[in-house]
Amino acid sequence: MRIRRMARYLSVLLAFTLVAAGGACSQRDDDDDDTSAGGGDSAASSDIPTEDCVADPTEPVEGDTITLASSYPQSGLTAAFSEIARGWMAYFEMMNDQGGVEFGGETFQIDWVERDDEYNAARTSANIEELVGQDGEGAFAVFSVVGTANNLAIRDFLGELCVPDIFAATGSPAWGNPDYPWLIGSTLPPYTLESQRFAELLEEEQPDAEVAMLLQNDDFGAAYREGLEQAIEGTDITIGDIQEYPTGASEVASQITSLANSGATAFFNGGTLLACPDALSQAAANNWEPITWVSGTCISKTLMGIAGEAGAGVYSASNIKDPLDPQWDDDEAMQEYRDTLAQYQPEADPDNGIVAYGWTQAAILVEAMANAEEPTRLALMESLRNLEVSDVGLLLPGVTVRTGPDDPYMGEQLQLVRYNFQGADARNYFETVGDIADYEGQTADLTPEDLISG
Amino acid sequence: MSAPVDKSDTTVEAPAAGDGAGTAPAGTPPLWPPVPARVRAVRVVIGVVLAAAALYAPYYFEPATNRLLSQALYIAIAAMGLNLLTGFNGQVSIGHGAFFGVGAFTTAILMVDHGWTFELTIPVAAALSALVGLAVGFPALRVRGLYLALITLGLAVLFPRLTMKYVDGTGGVALLRPARSQFDSLLTFLDDDQWAYGLCLVALVVLGVLARNLVHSRMGRALVAVRDQEIAATTVGVNLAATKVTTFAISAAYAGVAGSLSVMVDRLADGTNPILYFQRSIEFLVAVVIGGSATILGPVVGALLLVALRRNTEDLIEGKEVLAPALYGAALIAIVFVLPDGVVGGFRRLLARWAAAPSNQEDH
Amino acid sequence: MNLFTEQVLNGVGNGVVYGSVALALVLIFRTTSVLNFAQGEMALFSTYISWKLTTEGLPVVGAIALSAAIAFVGGAVIERLLIRPVEEARSPLNVVIVTLGLFLGLNSLAQLVFGTDPQLMPSPFPSGEVAGIDKDTIGLIVVLLAECALLWLLLQKTRIGLKLRAVASNPESSRLHGINAGTVLMLGWALSAAIGAIAGSLVASERTGFDASLMQQILVYAFAAAALGGFDSLIGAVVSGLIIGVADALTIEYVEALDGIEVVLPLGLILVVLLVRPNGLFGKRTVERV
Repeated sequence: MRIRRMARYLSVLLAFTLVAAGGACSQRDDDDDDTSAGGGDSAASSDIPTEDCVADPTEPVEGDTITLASSYPQSGLTAAFSEIARGWMAYFEMMNDQGGVEFGGETFQIDWVERDDEYNAARTSANIEELVGQDGEGAFAVFSVVGTANNLAIRDFLGELCVPDIFAATGSPAWGNPDYPWLIGSTLPPYTLESQRFAELLEEEQPDAEVAMLLQNDDFGAAYREGLEQAIEGTDITIGDIQEYPTGASEVASQITSLANSGATAFFNGGTLLACPDALSQAAANNWEPITWVSGTCISKTLMGIAGEAGAGVYSASNIKDPLDPQWDDDEAMQEYRDTLAQYQPEADPDNGIVAYGWTQAAILVEAMANAEEPTRLALMESLRNLEVSDVGLLLPGVTVRTGPDDPYMGEQLQLVRYNFQGADARNYFETVGDIADYEGQTADLTPEDLISG
Repeated sequence: MSAPVDKSDTTVEAPAAGDGAGTAPAGTPPLWPPVPARVRAVRVVIGVVLAAAALYAPYYFEPATNRLLSQALYIAIAAMGLNLLTGFNGQVSIGHGAFFGVGAFTTAILMVDHGWTFELTIPVAAALSALVGLAVGFPALRVRGLYLALITLGLAVLFPRLTMKYVDGTGGVALLRPARSQFDSLLTFLDDDQWAYGLCLVALVVLGVLARNLVHSRMGRALVAVRDQEIAATTVGVNLAATKVTTFAISAAYAGVAGSLSVMVDRLADGTNPILYFQRSIEFLVAVVIGGSATILGPVVGALLLVALRRNTEDLIEGKEVLAPALYGAALIAIVFVLPDGVVGGFRRLLARWAAAPSNQEDH
Repeated sequence: MNLFTEQVLNGVGNGVVYGSVALALVLIFRTTSVLNFAQGEMALFSTYISWKLTTEGLPVVGAIALSAAIAFVGGAVIERLLIRPVEEARSPLNVVIVTLGLFLGLNSLAQLVFGTDPQLMPSPFPSGEVAGIDKDTIGLIVVLLAECALLWLLLQKTRIGLKLRAVASNPESSRLHGINAGTVLMLGWALSAAIGAIAGSLVASERTGFDASLMQQILVYAFAAAALGGFDSLIGAVVSGLIIGVADALTIEYVEALDGIEVVLPLGLILVVLLVRPNGLFGKRTVERV
């Protein structure tokens, strides 16, 4: 007995030591005085201030590999977001196999390190600080971190270091804050532009509409609301009842009953994840048939599939081809996407819109790298901030991703889309409607100031 | 195979608890039995080694590892507070994440909106958390065990909803981030990460000593008496209500200090995540139990173990990251199986057996 | 139908959901005295099994029945392998940790096995409405009341029920009376796992869709319902679930100040009730012995 207990105890102790040692076999390198701070010579022409950079952003990459760091939920209740990464991984793997990517006149392989953060901002920041290093000697850049709070949590650190935080994967208008030139948002349209586009749709279809809104009770909901309030100024459109639901909830029956009884003729469904299809079903159950907008985050095969018929005819906006839209079946870019995914990420579902999104972000980054003047962090960031690309990845034809010195937003061209429902077992998709709305350079004007820098 | 938990060092005979005058009547066993000299020697050696390791660690490790260690330290502080309530006093709380959050947001709001120095916010955070703890402690008098766990669980769920509704950070996001320069080391010979670690360590040691003194005091005997024999304790003069409510407040204050320190270590107070503070509560409870409940050092060991587990499980399942919580959960169950009274409890048993054994007959 | 009635009906719809999960919680508490944090996640796993079986072509009722049977076995296995060894060490906190470990583990296992995408669980009831009430809701109420009645009969009118209650209230002395406590506790876990499987599957089918967060959203409300009912009353759990559901719906409609933080209501409700009646609305008084 005694020996057994002793052995039990020792084995756990041993396990503990091993676990601890696994995470701790690093020897501190305190020799950081030689890190050359401050901007280099080529910074003279730059719009991005580099005087206070902790890590010299004009230092060229060493070796022939660029390492990207990323952090996103891979476990827990938001693990589904990890599908985004399958899209960009497949693209980079394809490029690597084709010989690598051009960056500032040289050719590099792309490597990446990613960590799970369970959507917890504190863990995102720990992950990224570890992967990038206190002096920026780790990963070259940070790519496709998911979540608004999560990107805010690393924004200061990367900004002081002068390490690019590329394509923050949310539509928060805060990504246009000029104080943070080292962070750039992705092609996801800023949430306020969705409100703007809906207001314009109502101007055509229902100029005296009363809009009911379902919003998440956080910044995401606030962006939709404030965006719409600003967008309807000077029109006959009014905002009626607004109902909020707690983040993470997927059941909104009571909120929808309230909205349906408010007499509103238009419905802005700002629900995300399961709250979105639930709102649509509940509206149908209440026999409420307003002209409806769903959040861009709801453009998803699974979510709209769950809404089914209740989602028929709802509007939203996008700038990426819906893989389920038959008009792209013979599209070259779509075929390359499907083939590559099947080869490198066979577990990923090509019909899943967020996989297509991840793929497109990778394609745009590769384009920006090719346009960079030299293989440095500064040159990459400048290239990203002076971008003009179209027909890349799965961008819709006619959509140009454009940024400039005073225009940090990438997703400013919106294609109106409408859910084409033909039956529970049919191939349902978002069809494109009309021309592309161009808000190039206008996001800052169409967004209340406090949402950008408040 | 499975031995009953040996609580001989903490269990108190009811009559000893509240003797009015504060002196133990003759014949009742003391709460803390005398420690044999050999055991004391081993404890001293271990203490010295641990202290040396704790002091040397920030010079040895990379900043990222120091940050993990600092996280373990603040989790340890909160767990230590929870242990006073749960381990020593027998009240199960799943709401300490909320007290932690109160501490974190107190510090963050004072720093961001009012420009306070970080170090000065810690006592305010502790005081506010204690106040909230008091407010919860009073109704907690009427409810016990299960119900208390439930009500406190509700607190942890409610807290982030409140922050989402009322906290307005950048762009309306319920995330407060004091400027990084506000956490600069106040000692020139320490880097920022070493400073943060040092501050957490000092807080842990100070609060640890306080907890130890508390547990060894008359109040401490009352705590344990209330846990083991509530009604008997009242009959011998323990003021049940005062004891419980005070414990609740002190315990909440520990969690508040931990939350305050977390703002320095993580450089943010996060109110955007609906399950974060529930997860925190669980973390603290887990640290208490796997470390060894009703021991002073247990929560510290538990917190270190927990952080190490979380950091290292991910690398084991490359490509199947979604399994990380399952591995973590399995590890918890395994620890409870192998060491039913926690790492520190197991160690004590080992030590006690060694002390009782004839001196030169170590059997293996 | 006016707005008030509609909101009450919404509340009833959610209330039966809370009640059905609370029922499983109460059952396991009455038969084993354990507060099982993993109850919801066990139900989630079973719900995914039901869903998977329906995609394999099984009729919905059959799928749920099969899944409940699997859950019955699974509950017994969990009790035997994971709970009993820890319970024998007499540490209630350790049992809590094991159920928390299960809570984490089952959720992530479910995501690994069944994927992270949200899914649609078909309903065993005909679609449509009766007098403005969703047939799913009516079906859920009927099932819930039937469960209550059967469990009541089992617990109060059969020998095994007597044993279940005896073991829960005093495992020591029931062992002295020759009751095999182990078998009885296993049965308690098995039963509540099966009830949880039915509850989870029906809840998922009543909702528009479900994902791995299904039970975590409900759990606080279900706990509140169980507590309000006094934690040992089956019908109390159901009635309290309805009270909480309706109160929640009315708060959403009429109390704007609580937008997004409606959860204060059930919490406040438990607090008030427990202050007035420490054993809940339907609980029995217990006598404390020194």
